[in-house]
Amino acid sequence: MDITGQEERFRRMFAEEAEGRLATLSELLLALETTTGDPELLAAVFREAHTLKGAAAVVGFADVLQVAHALEEVLEGLRRGDRTATAALVDSLLGAVDGIREMIPAVLEGDDRADHAERLVVSLQTPPPDPAPADPTPPDHASPDPTPPDPTPPDPTPPNSTPVAAAGAGIRGIGETIRLPVERLDELVRLVGEAVAASLRLGRLVTERLGVEPASVPELHELSRVLGDLQQRTLRARMIPFATIAEPLRRATRDLARTLGKTVELELRGQETELDRGVLEQVADPLLHLVRNAIDHGIEPPDERVLLDKPPTGSIMVRALQLGSEVVVTVADDGRGIDLERVRERAREAGDGLEGAGDGDAIYAIFRSGLSTAPEVSEVSGRGVGLDVVRTSLASVRGRVEVRSEPGAGTEFRLSVPITLAVLPCLVVEAAGRRYGIPMHSVVSGEAAGWTGDYVEGQAVIRVRDQVLPVASLAWTLGTGDEAAVNGGPAVVVASLTRRHAFQVDALLGQRDVVLKDLGRLLPRLDLLAGASVEPDGSILLVLDASGLVNQARWIRPGVRGAVESSPAQPASPASTGQPSLLVVDDTAVVRELERSILELAGYQVRTAGDGQEALAMLADAPADLVITDVDMPWCDGFELTRAIRAEPRLAGLPVVILTSKADDADRRRGLEAGADAYVVKGDFDQQALLEIVGRLLGTLTTARAGDRR
Amino acid sequence: MRSVLLLVGRDWFALPMAAFQEVVAAPVVTALPAAPPTVRGLFNVRGQIIPLLDTGVLLGLGPLPGCSFAAVVQSRYGPAGLATTGAPEPAELAWRVGPAHGKGTVAAYAAGERIAVLLDPMVLLAPADVAAES
Repeated sequence: MDITGQEERFRRMFAEEAEGRLATLSELLLALETTTGDPELLAAVFREAHTLKGAAAVVGFADVLQVAHALEEVLEGLRRGDRTATAALVDSLLGAVDGIREMIPAVLEGDDRADHAERLVVSLQTPPPDPAPADPTPPDHASPDPTPPDPTPPDPTPPNSTPVAAAGAGIRGIGETIRLPVERLDELVRLVGEAVAASLRLGRLVTERLGVEPASVPELHELSRVLGDLQQRTLRARMIPFATIAEPLRRATRDLARTLGKTVELELRGQETELDRGVLEQVADPLLHLVRNAIDHGIEPPDERVLLDKPPTGSIMVRALQLGSEVVVTVADDGRGIDLERVRERAREAGDGLEGAGDGDAIYAIFRSGLSTAPEVSEVSGRGVGLDVVRTSLASVRGRVEVRSEPGAGTEFRLSVPITLAVLPCLVVEAAGRRYGIPMHSVVSGEAAGWTGDYVEGQAVIRVRDQVLPVASLAWTLGTGDEAAVNGGPAVVVASLTRRHAFQVDALLGQRDVVLKDLGRLLPRLDLLAGASVEPDGSILLVLDASGLVNQARWIRPGVRGAVESSPAQPASPASTGQPSLLVVDDTAVVRELERSILELAGYQVRTAGDGQEALAMLADAPADLVITDVDMPWCDGFELTRAIRAEPRLAGLPVVILTSKADDADRRRGLEAGADAYVVKGDFDQQALLEIVGRLLGTLTTARAGDRR
Repeated sequence: MRSVLLLVGRDWFALPMAAFQEVVAAPVVTALPAAPPTVRGLFNVRGQIIPLLDTGVLLGLGPLPGCSFAAVVQSRYGPAGLATTGAPEPAELAWRVGPAHGKGTVAAYAAGERIAVLLDPMVLLAPADVAAES
């Protein structure tokens, strides 16, 4: 390597090392603010700044060196006792740390950041007087502060360093950790997986050729044990502690609370809980949003809290806990709770009516895109995008979010995510001589053989505790078995996003961790398939997708309507059977099934959806001749659905019947204004009336469908 | 041009040697539920899961009755197996004898005693075509 190349390598090494050092500095400075005068802590902060300065000098980063030197000067003053670590001074120091962090990539690219460095030095040398009086009085916003805290907290995903757990805790030595690109680790995991598979193949070969059990050969037994251990450890190497994303919340909390004139204590628990890096990345943003929301919307200002007989300092607890193959992260605050009336009001303004929804359901409207309860948009919140991000980020890693809130007492969000995406715990089943994996997160239960099934409207059903669920043969559903009928064999109950369905199998073979393999990009996306894995005997285990499975089973119901007898694996277009195709949308299963049975008896082909969003997705997949929808449903209600249908040119002519318990004239008008063709109140509901309306609309459909309805 | 000749039904096709990886005899295929007709299933090559494509459907000749061999090809979207009805043979393409009009084909060439249509794997193995229903 030539000299220039070596220099470049050192500069990049410095940049990488500085990332970790600056993260440590931030944490120590935050601790400094609350632990006044701890000499050990002060020494640790000083040491970090000094080392940073020395390294910057070695690689010739003059601008960084200049700021680090000024930082060191201030810290030296603190160490000597000439100054005290006021909030304003810590602001300046943190500002300098952030400034260095921003400067390094630019300097690395050869940019001159002398002006920036100069400003940071001036700011450090002339820190403002601390305007914040003692708790509980909020800080004075009007006070000048040359380095106001950035209301946008720093990136919650810090560098891959081991965070310092507490003030003054052991500072990480350079020799204790190494950095490496994640791809290398992923490659290692893949290769170890291949080695394990190869050793299993070897064992099988030994059995076939020599007639010897591999476990009885000490060398093979040892190889298998070591490889198993190695696989566990390499998988573990991809895991990083929850602290990696939780620790930066301290800074975010401090800065935002200070900006808003609130005092908030953040308590972090379960920091050592480990999660896959990919999962943790997707949790970081939701977590930051929830903490910011708690500070902005939840925690009251100190004077208000005192009046409410609460301690002036608000409390937020973020806790991670491993439960089986999931990690549950809770964010709980002791603030004012979610104002449900306001949620309903905002939903009404957005035309999303929650009037019929109970509190438990209505609260989930806060996750809708664009719905915010903040009175006005600020830099902190109020645009209604935060909680939408929470929901979508979690969904991308097979996670989910729940919320509970009590007026005046606080709010708790509960995020559940899988520990890792690299290994998928699956229930392995056998159907028509083939084995399949079903992801455990979508398995509700396994049912032993011997159950007695019933038929409701031609659909086989199974009783599972207090529920009656449709049941189908798994092999038939997948198109690999000839026998559509079920006969009480073992069954597995799976849950898709909106419904549960049971599948009869030949055997339930047990739970196993499955390492999904990359299938390349050539293969089209198959709704029934979540992935595939190689078995020890070299065969391929297909891992099924629960949602795809449930949808497929519903398409090919044997025995009634236009089931696709000849090709069960191919979803049929409902329109292809010649019968009018109806889509019934209602979030209440019993209403949905009642409507379905009435309409099917009248000869219609019926699909059902649990809410407006699902209905739109189903209409995108296959058309319908008429939609019957409820109004009050989670995520996308009947009015919203009707408007969406009218807005979509391909669907604009589709007749829509609203069938609801909302009898007000105002609601009726809203429904018709949204574009519904008929508005039927459930209280007046009789099946003959419904069939007449459907018949009339479908009758007019044949003559008027080509016309523009709008 | 060095190539590998693939028998697909009664037709011979030539695959450039640069795109060819290996031949798997009598691959054990795991069928995929609800897959398009171009995809016969998945097979395992030393721990790697590879989709096996019905070369007949892909070239518009109709589905192959069976798959005696799979020629593993490297495409820009990952490896794929092309099902063939006979053992692939290495061959040198001598001269161009005429045009070819099928999707993913370049031209017809003389290859020893045979006439083979040269394939362009980049065009033939495009995800949209593999996903096509017919």
